[in-house]
Amino acid sequence: MKVPAEVMVGNFAIARGLVEAGLELAAAYPGTPSSEILPGIVEFNKREKGNIHTEWSTNERCAMEVAFGAALAGKKAVCIMKQVGLNVAFPPLMRGRGKVLEGALVIVSCDDPGPQSSQTEQDTRLLCTLFNIPVFDPASPREAADIAYYALAYSFQRKTPVIIRSTHRVSHAREAVELFPPGTRQVVLSSGVMGQGSKKSAIRNPQSAIRAKLGIITSGMSHSITMDVISELGIGDQISLYKVVRVFPLEKQLIDFVESVDRVLIVEETDATLEMQIGRGNKVFGRINGYVPGAGELTYDVVRSVVERIAKETGIGKKVFVPDSRIEEALQGVTVSPRPPKLCAGCPHRASFHAMSYAYPEAVFPGDIGCYTLGIAQGAVDTCIDMGGGVTLAAGFYDTFSQDNNVVPIIASVGDSTFFHACLPPLYDAIEKRKRFILVIMDNSTTAMTGMQPTPQSGITADGTPTNSLKIEDVVRGLGIEFLRVLDPYDMPLMLNTLKEAQTYLEKKGNTPAVIIARRVCLLTGKGKSQQFLESIDLEEDCTGCKTCITRFGCPALLFDEENKKVKIDDALCIKCGICLYVCPRTEKGKGLSKLRGKRTAKQKT
Amino acid sequence: MKKNGLKLEMVCAGVGGRGVLLASTILIETAVRAGYHAMASDEYGMSQRGGSVVSLVKIGTSQSPLIGRENADILLAFEESEFYRNLVFLRKGGMAIVNTSKDMLPDNITTLLAERNNKCFLISADDIAKEKGMMQASNMAILGFFSYFRIGPYTFEAILDTLRERTKGKFLEKNVDVFQTGYKKAKDKGIAL
Repeated sequence: MKVPAEVMVGNFAIARGLVEAGLELAAAYPGTPSSEILPGIVEFNKREKGNIHTEWSTNERCAMEVAFGAALAGKKAVCIMKQVGLNVAFPPLMRGRGKVLEGALVIVSCDDPGPQSSQTEQDTRLLCTLFNIPVFDPASPREAADIAYYALAYSFQRKTPVIIRSTHRVSHAREAVELFPPGTRQVVLSSGVMGQGSKKSAIRNPQSAIRAKLGIITSGMSHSITMDVISELGIGDQISLYKVVRVFPLEKQLIDFVESVDRVLIVEETDATLEMQIGRGNKVFGRINGYVPGAGELTYDVVRSVVERIAKETGIGKKVFVPDSRIEEALQGVTVSPRPPKLCAGCPHRASFHAMSYAYPEAVFPGDIGCYTLGIAQGAVDTCIDMGGGVTLAAGFYDTFSQDNNVVPIIASVGDSTFFHACLPPLYDAIEKRKRFILVIMDNSTTAMTGMQPTPQSGITADGTPTNSLKIEDVVRGLGIEFLRVLDPYDMPLMLNTLKEAQTYLEKKGNTPAVIIARRVCLLTGKGKSQQFLESIDLEEDCTGCKTCITRFGCPALLFDEENKKVKIDDALCIKCGICLYVCPRTEKGKGLSKLRGKRTAKQKT
Repeated sequence: MKKNGLKLEMVCAGVGGRGVLLASTILIETAVRAGYHAMASDEYGMSQRGGSVVSLVKIGTSQSPLIGRENADILLAFEESEFYRNLVFLRKGGMAIVNTSKDMLPDNITTLLAERNNKCFLISADDIAKEKGMMQASNMAILGFFSYFRIGPYTFEAILDTLRERTKGKFLEKNVDVFQTGYKKAKDKGIAL
């Protein structure tokens, strides 16, 4: 019987494998590149008319503990997070890994080699070797589906938690994945020496009588890339290759393989996890002796240059890739618009950041993790350590300044989802200890950067069912914050006045941090799309071409017209929020700030 | 899954929010429907909108969805700056289609493309899309233009079939209209196949 297949991202493939394997509970906190797995479970559960409980947790620790509880009590559970999210879940992981499960627990942790969307690279597999947790490393979406299916059964049979480590290149790759009826997936895990006895395989291992000069050990997406590179370089008939699926505990055959070749190259992401387990000193080409770069993603070009160099050194290489330098030479004379990561045109965060850096340019700005980390471009984010770290760093900065009798404004920022995720202990700690700083909670009513997941305030669950909603202002008030204002960040005059008011409160020995909730819904949500503030205002009219708006505000809809030496608005991107008018140094002349002041504040409810 | 040993590496490059991922979805699904093994890899960075978006599509015997420098057979650039940014992917003899209102690229680029034996076609996809009243559909004009060349599984009819399956409701007909106009542009140029 032909099994239907569907093109899907790796994260949906993981979801599919878990649902087919009889998953009963899933809990997750969103984080790139893991965020699509839980929605995938919701989707396939719906299609299969299943009864899987799904939830977006407040943070990764909650997700893991909920899943652990279910697994201890006999359910097949999964918790899902990104690599740095796993750090948040350490307490239950460390203690829980030794518990005997009645059910099953799979932990999916998605790594971000590079990193592309994280503070740090981090290899989940390395933690697994340190703490004795089996870990699987899929090389493609299709294999990810099989591994997910296999891992849930593996955990159930062995009564122990297991980890699936994906990377962004697997999680966000797309491939046709077969859809089996639940409980019937034909799992194919290709682990071990590749292509043995097969004439068709790209890798034709030399017969056992001839000892291979070079063996290559691979896992995850690095395996898939290495295979393509070997095919490009045409060295498939001269090397042996061992693909690892379960990175820990190592298979005995892998050690035998290492013994069977003269030298061995290990291609893996993100750290030297296989390499350190294998040992064997100078026999190995890897990260430890510098043959493989110690950091950054193993892209196709990186793997190609590594394999080429080693093939040459071991005397098997034929082909060498020489980049055509004419390309770079020709590109030198071409203007390429830079596209650094930016907040969307009209993003309410940009308005908040402008107010913060305009009101107190000399302030220290502890920032946090989310879209609003991009406030760094507006000079309103100085630090970005970890989720919730902005609040606690602000407290540390306050102590530093006050110890030396300095008064320096401190304005921390955090988003709504991150506030619930990790800011409560830091905030009540700061209240109890009378730390004096301003905290701007940028509430766009969603977890925007990872793709619009609900927050505890949203009042909906992972599958869209209505539920209780926790209001940020109620929580803040409940903790005992004395200075609390809720406002619309588009109301620039009010935003500036409130920041001044908050700083005055702190300087007059206010007893708690001052909290400002800047609330305006994200433009990318359904509600946000229809939001327009201005009817029509001409920014270009008396533009002198000073570019202040472009450099200080950085809105993607502001372009510079080199011909007219004036700023031009890109109508396709502009949403007419009008906030850039406050940035223009010429607004005092009557068109921007002063004209709008009365109009906006009148609308404001606090 | 392997058909006649065909191996095709394609780069779709553009700006967030302008349909790069939909275009690459149509490319991968058209290949899968025709019985090829196909993979794609998307890179969209941290911007939600307006940032560089690159989607790599490989069909045939490849195992990874990633493409090395000077390996891509086809570069579909949905915006001119993104064409330059991704030009290093294009192999000698590869083909590029660029969305631009210009009639010619700068001299040094034209020379480079000629030296490297690249076929490069310019199409004002934005104007076509604007004319049809659907700015977001410029990607379809490029796919339409591309379909004229009938490379691998990518015939006009095959892409149209996928397009009809992927796009629903009121957007479908406009998308199809833009797609057909893109195809006609290539046909009217009388490019020899």
